[in-house]
This record gives sequence, structure tokens and C-alpha cells, in this order.
Amino acid sequence: MEEFLTLLLAGISVGAVYGLIAIGLNLTFWTTKTMNFGQGSVMMLCAMLTATLIARGWPQALSILAALGIIVVLMVFTETYTVRPALKIEGSMGWAVSTLGVGIVLQGCAALWFGSQALAFPDIIFSAIDDVVVFGVHVSLQYIAVLVLALALVVVFELLVRGTVWGRAMRAVSMDSDLASVIGIPTRTIVLGSYIGSGILAGVSGILVAQIGGTVDPAFGFELVIFGFVAAVLGGMGSTTGALVGGIVAGVLQQMVGGYISSAAQHGMAFALLILILVVRPQGFFGQREIVKV
Amino acid sequence: MLEIRDLIVSYGAIEAVRGVTLTAAPGAITAIVGANGAGKSSLLRAITGLAPIKSGSVLLDGKDITKLPASRRAELGLAHAMEGRRIFRQLTVEENLQLAWQFGRRRNAWADALERVFVTFPILKDKRRVQAGLLSGGQQQMMIVSVATICNPSYLLLDEPSLGLAPIIVQEIYTFFTERCREDGTTVLLAEQMAALALKVSEHGYVLRQGRVVREGPSKELVDSGLVAALSSAYL
Repeated sequence: MEEFLTLLLAGISVGAVYGLIAIGLNLTFWTTKTMNFGQGSVMMLCAMLTATLIARGWPQALSILAALGIIVVLMVFTETYTVRPALKIEGSMGWAVSTLGVGIVLQGCAALWFGSQALAFPDIIFSAIDDVVVFGVHVSLQYIAVLVLALALVVVFELLVRGTVWGRAMRAVSMDSDLASVIGIPTRTIVLGSYIGSGILAGVSGILVAQIGGTVDPAFGFELVIFGFVAAVLGGMGSTTGALVGGIVAGVLQQMVGGYISSAAQHGMAFALLILILVVRPQGFFGQREIVKV
Repeated sequence: MLEIRDLIVSYGAIEAVRGVTLTAAPGAITAIVGANGAGKSSLLRAITGLAPIKSGSVLLDGKDITKLPASRRAELGLAHAMEGRRIFRQLTVEENLQLAWQFGRRRNAWADALERVFVTFPILKDKRRVQAGLLSGGQQQMMIVSVATICNPSYLLLDEPSLGLAPIIVQEIYTFFTERCREDGTTVLLAEQMAALALKVSEHGYVLRQGRVVREGPSKELVDSGLVAALSSAYL
């Protein structure tokens, strides 16, 4: 029983982070119907930079902010030079190749600068062995902290999108970008903003996962971004609630398969789940249906 | 004054507008008539900054705006009611209006702007909290022209405002913008397939065929010269 509950909490906690990754992918999908296929490298780079800066004696908070700052610059570069030119050609899928290319180059650079060995990721709030006992079950504080932080970020994100002028402008761009620019919404700024937001969500997710896993290496983001993608498709592309639920389902299943069947099988889980959902319910759990009156 | 000089709009190898020069007189309605595919929509979309301009220029009050992004042109007082019922379907009527007001050139208070819309089209007041996608075609067109005019634009581009509407609604929409033009001194550029309708309300008209201006002149002269009958027989 205790093993089950431990796996469940680990699954929910990691799953909430997958949800964050998925929301990051959704964000750019809304504004441009594109996503950064190099997102895995963004997560890796953010976690690696944070670990390196802390190891050099920088304060933790400052290290995280500096790493996120570099991610923002990277996302501005990605949007300006790999996505925007590709979108000038109607129906072009060039962005998929160019963003993936940037990701692969970054992964190579990380291996060159930091070495291809895994770096130890420092404990930020709690260490891996901190736990509390709830009803006789040991519960890891680290998992709880990650879960709370991920959920808080989702709530903040939803408030920004629903409650602010810029959030509404972003939804307008996602619905009809021509109409949005005709009524005066600066669509280029909104698209750039969505890429920056997406990068920040990915960077924070990278730090959270590295915190749980304890290490980070150049190939770290690859599997994560696939789980993020599975979460987004599972929940229904574009839906925030869907991304969170999809992430948690994917996370729990992954942990259960890893715990009860084999830890080798858990790596294939993401793909199995993706194939299943695309066959059974392609629009995902919360896929939006548009109401159109003819 | 809105001036277009030697404008060429091309989508890859296809040229939709092939060297159009045109002037919309201030405070008046100028009509652009022509068959389907004559380049009317591309011309309007180039003026607002949506269609790719290959060469030529667009001048607003003598200022060259050819290179400005669409959102900056909106700030200069240029509004465009596009063809094809372009609205934010999932947002309510009021949210649609508010977005246009917030990001447009804000000169009037929100409450006044909204009141003016509701006085003109009372049905929109009843439907203010309804998703715009659920309105009837006529109500959507009323909302579209209201969204375009909520910031009292100096220039209003209208693309096929009569398309797919019942005659009584067409009448209402036409009355709306002819009165707006007279009251506020708005410069209107009206693209229409229904040449008879457009030339009746406009002062000056341009006839477009395959991306070129083939005739122009005072609307009355164009009507008297039998143009309407010629155009109608061309596509009926």
C-alpha cells in the first residue's frame, strides 16, 4: 500500500510538471500553430545553467533568475530567426525543422561546455530524503513542493490569460490573427511574448524535474518534451485544464508501470499512450469544439 | 486623404492587384466595383497591411504607411470590416467590441462608445452577453461594422458588406455607414460586387478587372453609361 501511494504521489507530482511543459507548448500553438521542437534543450539548458551557477557559489535565487534570463534571450532568437521567417511561407512546416535544429545545436553545445556526464543538481528547498509522515505513510516533501509549485504556476497562468487585457489579446490572436491585427492588436509582440512565456515554463519545468531526479545531462530534455507533448495531446491540444490532467495521467501511468512492471517499460509508455489516444479519441479529453451557427 | 499609387499585390507567382492608382476623397464614399476575383479584397487588405505589397505605396494624409504593420495602421485611424464574417466567435458581443476599443485609437470613453453602438443597433444590446458565433448573419454584420467604427476611425474600408444578407439588413448596414460618413466626416472605401448598390451611395467609383482599374469616374456617370447593366450581365 505504501509503495502504491508513494508511486501515486510521484506520478502526480511529475505529471503536474509534464502539464507545465504541455502548457508551454500550447502557448505557442495558440498564437501561431507552431511549437518549439527544441523545447527539450531549453529545459536542459535552464537546469544545467542553474546547477553550474549554484556550483560556482552564486545564490540559488539569482542563479535561477540568470538561467531564466538566458532562456528569454534564447526564445527571442528562436522566434525571430527560426519561426517567423518560416511562417512567411503559407503552409510551410520549415519551423519544425529549424526549431529542432536549434535544439540539437544547443544539446551539442551543452555537451561541449559542461561535458556529457550528468551534473549533480543541488537541493533547492528540500533534499530528496526530507519527508513527512501522513497517516503512517512517508511522503516526500520534495514531491509535494514540486506539485504545489507546478499547480501554483498553472493557476497564475490561467489568471493572466483570462483576466488581463494582454491575455484576452492573446486569445484573440489565437482565434483570428488577421482580425486581431486589423483592430490594432500588435500581433508580432503577442507571438514573441508567447514564445518567451513558453520558454520560461519549459525552463522552470526543467529545474523542477532536475530537482526530483537529482541530476541533469545534455540529453535530459528529450524524453521530457515527449511526455509534455503526450500530456498536451491527451488533454486536448490548446486546453490548459486538459494539459494538467493529461500530464498527471501520463505521470501516474509512467510511475506505476515503472514501479510494478519494469523501469525499462516506463520509457515506452509515452509513445504507447500517444498511439492509444490518437486512435481512440484524437481530440483529447478536453478538445474544444467550436460552436458555429450556419 | 487616402491615396494608393501603382500598387502591386502578389501572392507568390500570382498577381492579384497589378498597378492600381486610386484616391479616396476625404469625407466621401468611394466605391470599388468588379467581379469576383477582380482584386477588390486584395486591394483593401494591402491598404490595411494584411496582403503582401510587391511595389507601390499607400499614403494616409500624405504619410507613407506602406511598411507599417497592420496594428500601427489601426492606431492611425484606419479601420477595415473584412469580408466573410470575421469575428471572434467564442467571445461575447461586448468582448468583441471592447477588444477593438482597447487596442484601437482611443478617443472616446468606453461607456459612450458602447452606448452609441447600442443606440444604432438595439438588437446588439439584447445580445451583448451572447457568444458572437451564435448571432444570426445580419446581427454578425451589425457587430462587424460596429467593431470597425467603435474608435471613430477617420478611414473605413468595407469589404462586401452586403454579401449573403437579406435586403432589409443590407439597407440597414448601408444607412449606417452613409450616415456615419456624413456625421463624422469618415472617408469610406467600399468594395462591392453589387455595383448598382455601391454606385448609388458613392460619389466616385472605380471598376476593377483582373487587378487593374479599367474605368473610373463620378458614380452617377458610371451608372448612366450603362456600366451596371454591363457588369451584371458579365456575371449573371
